[in-house]
This record gives sequence, C-alpha cells and structure tokens, in this order.
Amino acid sequence: MFTGAHVTENPAPKLSDPTTSVEHVRAALERHAYIGSSRIATVVHLAMRLQKPVLVEGPPGVGKTELARTTAAMLDLPLIRLQCHEGLDEAKALYEWKYGKQLLYIQMLREQLDDVLDGARGLAESVERLHRHDDIFFSEAFVEPRPLLQALREPDGSVLLIDEIDKADEAFESLLLELLADYQVTLPEIGTIAAAGPPPLVFLTSNNTREVSDALKRRCLHLYIPFPDAALEAQIIRARVPEIPAALRGELVAFVQALREMDLRKLPAISETIDWARTLLLLHVDALDADWVRETLNVILKFQDDIERVEPQLPALLRRAAGGR
Amino acid sequence: MEGTLIRFVRALRMAEVRVSTAETLEAFRATELVGWRDRQRFKDALGAVLAKSRAERDAFDDCFDRFFRVEDFSTDDRARSNDDADRQPDAIPAPDDGDGREAGRGDSAGNGAGGGGGSGGAEADRERSAGGEGTIDPAAARAPNTTMAPPVSPLGRLLMADDRPALALAITRAARAQRLEDIRVFTQQGLYTRRILEHMGRTDLLDEIAAREAAIAAPERRLGAALRTRYDRLRRQVRDHVEDRFNLHADADGSQLRERMLRRTRIDSVPRRDEAHMRRIIARMARRLVAAHSRRRRVTRRGRLDVPRTLRRNMRHDGTLIELAWQSRRIDRPRLFVVCDVSGSVARHARFMLTLLHGLGAVLPRVRAFVFCARLGEVTDVFRQHDPDTAMQHALAEHGHGATDYGRALADFETLALDDLDRRSTVLILGDARNNDADPRTDRLRRIRARSGRVIWLNPEPRAAWDSGDSVIGRYRAHCHQVSECGSLAQLERIVSDLLRRVG
Repeated sequence: MFTGAHVTENPAPKLSDPTTSVEHVRAALERHAYIGSSRIATVVHLAMRLQKPVLVEGPPGVGKTELARTTAAMLDLPLIRLQCHEGLDEAKALYEWKYGKQLLYIQMLREQLDDVLDGARGLAESVERLHRHDDIFFSEAFVEPRPLLQALREPDGSVLLIDEIDKADEAFESLLLELLADYQVTLPEIGTIAAAGPPPLVFLTSNNTREVSDALKRRCLHLYIPFPDAALEAQIIRARVPEIPAALRGELVAFVQALREMDLRKLPAISETIDWARTLLLLHVDALDADWVRETLNVILKFQDDIERVEPQLPALLRRAAGGR
Repeated sequence: MEGTLIRFVRALRMAEVRVSTAETLEAFRATELVGWRDRQRFKDALGAVLAKSRAERDAFDDCFDRFFRVEDFSTDDRARSNDDADRQPDAIPAPDDGDGREAGRGDSAGNGAGGGGGSGGAEADRERSAGGEGTIDPAAARAPNTTMAPPVSPLGRLLMADDRPALALAITRAARAQRLEDIRVFTQQGLYTRRILEHMGRTDLLDEIAAREAAIAAPERRLGAALRTRYDRLRRQVRDHVEDRFNLHADADGSQLRERMLRRTRIDSVPRRDEAHMRRIIARMARRLVAAHSRRRRVTRRGRLDVPRTLRRNMRHDGTLIELAWQSRRIDRPRLFVVCDVSGSVARHARFMLTLLHGLGAVLPRVRAFVFCARLGEVTDVFRQHDPDTAMQHALAEHGHGATDYGRALADFETLALDDLDRRSTVLILGDARNNDADPRTDRLRRIRARSGRVIWLNPEPRAAWDSGDSVIGRYRAHCHQVSECGSLAQLERIVSDLLRRVG
C-alpha cells in the first residue's frame, strides 16, 4: 500500500516561485506526459517569470492547446478557456450584465423606490434623488463574468487559454491588449478591475489563418511548435501510449514522418499519431502491414484525396518504416 | 553583457526583425533568468522575446549564429590542450566583454540540449575556422617557443602564447575601441582591418619581425618567420572579423538606401539589374496597403442599425432598447477595370502596376485587367493563373504587337467590358497617350466615362512632356475624373492607396 515517500528532485513549479528553473519546468511538463523540445520549456519558464503571455503558433495538432492544459495541471491552477470565433465580442469574452437579475431587483425594490421618490417635487428632483442610487444596479454584483474576467478573478491565479485567436476579429485583439499588457480590464460602468491574485498565465494559440496584429504580438512571447522530429515523436508516443511495443512505435513514427514529406492537404500531426497508436493497440496489431495500414489510414489522414494519394505508395512507405525501426 | 545585447538588437534590426525598446528590456530580463551559459537556451529565450513570427524567427536564428560566433571564444585552455578540433559548440561566447573567457569556459552541461534547431550557420563557421587553423600544426607552431627567446613586442608575445581566446578577446577589444559597429559601407573594411591591427600593436610587431628576419642567428630568423606566419594568420582573422561585423551591422548590400532611391526613381530609368529588388519592394508595398485597408474596412462597416435584430435582441429587456445591433454588411466592392498600354515605352510601368494590383488580391478581389498595343485583350485570367512575370510575358506575346492605337483599344474595351460597367466601377488607364497621330476617338472615352463611376488616367511621363509631340493626353483629360503622373513606385503607391480609400 504505502510505497514510501514520493521523492521528487524537482518540486512542482509554482507560478510566482523565483527558484524554479527551466529544468524544473521541463521535468514537470514531462511528468504530466507533455514531451517537448527544450525551447518549449524555456518559453514556459520565461512566461511564468516575466509574466508575459505566450503566443503559440504551429500547424494543427502539434499540441498547442495541450501545452496550456498541461501547464495548468503542472501549476495546479484552473484552466480557463476561451474559444475564439468570428463575431466574438465583449459580452461573450469579458463580461455581461445580468439583465434578468437587474430587472428582478428593480421589480422587488419598487416600494423602496417609492420611498426614495416620496415627496419629491417635479421631475428634476426625482431624477436628482435617483441619481444618488443609480450605480447600485451597475455594480459588480450584477456582472456576469466571462472567461477573461473570470481568469482575473481567480484568487490563486489561473491559466487562461485563448484558443485560435486568428479566428476572432481584429477588434477583439484590441480588446485583449489591456488585459495582456497590464492584467486588468476596464468595464465602463464600474472601472478598472485588476487581477485578484497573481496574474493569469496566458496562452494564445493561432493556426495562422490570418496574421495576428503587431500590437498583440509585441506583448507576447512567441513560440512556434513545428512537427516533431522522429526521436521526439517516439518519446511523445512513449509517454502518451506507454503500452505500445517499442518496435511498433518505431515503425509507426517512421511511417508518419515519411507521410509528412509527401504533398498532402493535411499533414498528420502528433495528435493523429497518438490516435493511430491507440487504434493499433486496440486492434492488437504487432507490426505494420499493408492491410492494417489501409484499414486504419483514415485515423491519420482526414481527406479522401490524401488517402487516395497515399494508398498506392503504401509498400514503399512501409519499407521505409521498417527500415527506420 | 548589456552592450553586447544592444549591439545584437541593432544587428537584428538590420536583418529586418522589428525590435522595440520594450522588447530589448524584456531581452535583458530573459537573459537574467536563463543566463547565457547554455547557448541553445539563451538563443531560445532571446528568440521567444525578440522574434515575433516565423519569418522573424528564421532571420533571428541566422543573425544569432553569426553574431554569437561559436568559435570565437569557445576554446578554453583545457579543451585546447586536449584536442584542438573538438571544441565546445554550446558554450556561449559573450564576445565583447571582459568576462568573455569565463563564458567560453562555461560548462558543457548544456551540450545535449544544443545543436537542435538551425545552428547550421554556426556549424559552417566552425568548419571553416577549423580548416583555416588546421594548416598549422599546433605542435610545430609551439616548437620555436621552447627553443628561442620570447618576442619583445606585446602583440608578438600574444601571438606566440598560442592563447586563442586571449587573442580573440584582444581582437574584439580593439574592434570595440575602433568602433567597428559604426562601419557602414563595404569599402571601409580594409580601413577598419588596418585600424584594429594598429590598435593591437601592429607597428611594433612589424618592426620586430623585420629586425629578427634580418638577424644573423638562426633562432632569431626562425622566430621572425614564425611571427610572420602568425601575423598573416592574425590579419586574416581580423579581416574575417571585420567582414563578419560588417555583414551584421552595416546594411550589408545597402538595401535600405537603395530602396529609398528606387521608390523615387522614374520607373523607366531603373536599371534592369534592380528588377528583382523592385519586385520585393512592390510585394512589401502590397502587403502594407492590404494591412492598412483591410483594417479600415472593418471600422467603416459598423454603419447601419439592424432594426429587426435590435428589436429581437431587446425583447428580453421588455422591448426597451438597451443593446443595439449593427448590420455587419459586407461592402460590395466596386469593380476595378485596369487598362494598360504595353507598348515598349510603358511596358515596365504596366508590369509593375499589374504586379502591385495582383498583390492586393486580399482587399481588391474584383480586378479585370486589359492590355493593348494595337489591339486590346483581356488578361485577367492570365494574371490569376501565373505569377506576375510569367503572366506579363504571356500578355506581351499575345497583345504586345503593332503601333499603339488608343482609339482602337478603346473600341475593343467597349466591346469587351462596356456592358459590365456601372456606377461603382472604376476604370484605370495607364498609358502615355502617344497615339502615333491616329484619331484618339475621345467620344469612346466619353461613353466609358458616362457608364462608369470613375475614370482615372495614369501617365508615366513627367508632366512637362504631356501634350508634346504626338501625346494627346490633353484631349483625353477632359473625359477623365482624374489624370495623374505615375512615374515612380512612390507615386504609384500613393495613387493606389487613394484608390483603395475610395473604393474600400
């Protein structure tokens, strides 16, 4: 039952702990099964210490979102996620008024309102009296926090993931600038709200469907995650799908690496490799052969065009994969 | 380290990586956090802070590898005595500081992490230097040291000491003293090389060499010869260093200066060899225009209240209008009809303009292009399918024959496009209006004007030449909304920018 004290040479890094180093971060990420290049660990470390947001770019499926998720797990902080899309605005991203609650309160407080207005002569005086109270319905009690505000309000800090920022409009980027630079937001009716605890660690991801504005880039650290090389990919598979036999892992990685050299509409990313490894594991496949690959090709290739292009090449690809073992 | 980083940032800016002051400060803080002993980590950290896109990252990698030259300081005493060739690739040099040697001695713990991304430049550098040094066998070079008296000149002693880090340090110090980072043009390289050598004590050394070579005793002469060999090597080393820093600090091919010139020069007098350069400028111009105008469009489109949506949205407020919904109506972009004279005199203008318009696809999607000499033909598809240069060749091959005939061309344009013109169309005509004394047929231009929203004539000739000889620009002018001179890229950019503002 009790296997003794769990000794870790590298204690889990804390958001504001000045003693953490790149090695700590890297080891901690690895403990959470996120295997990345040393560049990734360096950037995460810098982001924690410099309190700068990170703009993560790279092809889909290389683990951009996963990096934020793992960092949140590593720091033991809540992950607050904001998925961007066209037309995203303040009301969905930052805050909204609880209209229902406001109306309900006004209804309930009608009598008190009568008291307030009791004896007031003329419109001007009534309005004057109301003015003394008007802010109550636009106070923080009536604010419905959306992800950005929520992240600021977390008392112990948080990891804020702003996913696919390139899908949002440019107006939204401008909205983010204040948050990213000063970790505060300004609500016109209330004023400026600063982070309650340590400022959130912000990850922005982009698939580069459009160029993110310079102003935003300048406030962020930039991290580009490319497709991993064979060794790194094998490590990732080992961490994510530990049950898979080493030989098959080698073949699988070599096969996917070879695929990435082909001219395909959508190159298979790490997430596809992981899915494929899991699939093969479920099917109890011990070694790649043409039949199994043909059966399961749709796990790694997402377009019929691509599948049709790859199928005739299968024997050659498999030979390479066997060689790369 | 501060000076080094600031110089590095300057070099980055030269390499067209935009670095703000705030980012420079970030770089300092990042350096404090990760240190500079582990070269790869130092590079990753600086890269994350300073480079903000993939293109910038590539430029950064290249610049970093050239600036923080691996071989400059990476030999420490231990490594040198053990194995001259196997130096530590990952110890960070910190080339300009007093503590440079210490940096060189930095632990090799980070070696495993290094060598990852894009240190190809460093690799090549290392090989080159290894090749260069390899010509002298260290043992043989050291041999005279044991048998003869040490040289008297300080530089001579330094040379004979075989302490490469110390020598490299001396070179960088001398370079700094001579303000090598201010080098601007190629021809200054020799001068700086001389100055640096002078600063290091060249005169004394040369005197000593001359004296020893003239001496009678054999050991003396041997020492003289050894010094001469080493001095030659030193000179090469300094020259390489100067060239290196020149490439980093100076605007190496004078591109910025030349770009300013090229933008203002009249297109017909731009030398052929600068065509590639012009293309790059045009590409950048297009990107800038796209960026400026796509943003404007978004602001202008919050124009009209969307009444049904506003009412629907405010039902929950009991019909009180609290939130307003705006129509995000896409502006129906007016069509642009470009008509270019491609006869010899204005063909280049046509090409640059079509290239530029082609690059504006993102903000100007509906462009139809026509070219003419004697007859006019549509080249919209050609430009859509090929890159601008190939497209232009096709267009010229097909339509670039005969004597220019504006009247005829206008007639052809009417046949091809008159029915498609409406009040939102803009017709852009590029040509010198030199009609070879044929009938200009201004009535046709008048008809085109009547059908379209705007007719703009761009004349590549300087204003002074208008209406001289067979130019009939004055007669066409009456039927255009605007006639502008468009002789240089700068003028072209201004016109296109105005055009985008109007149509956008």
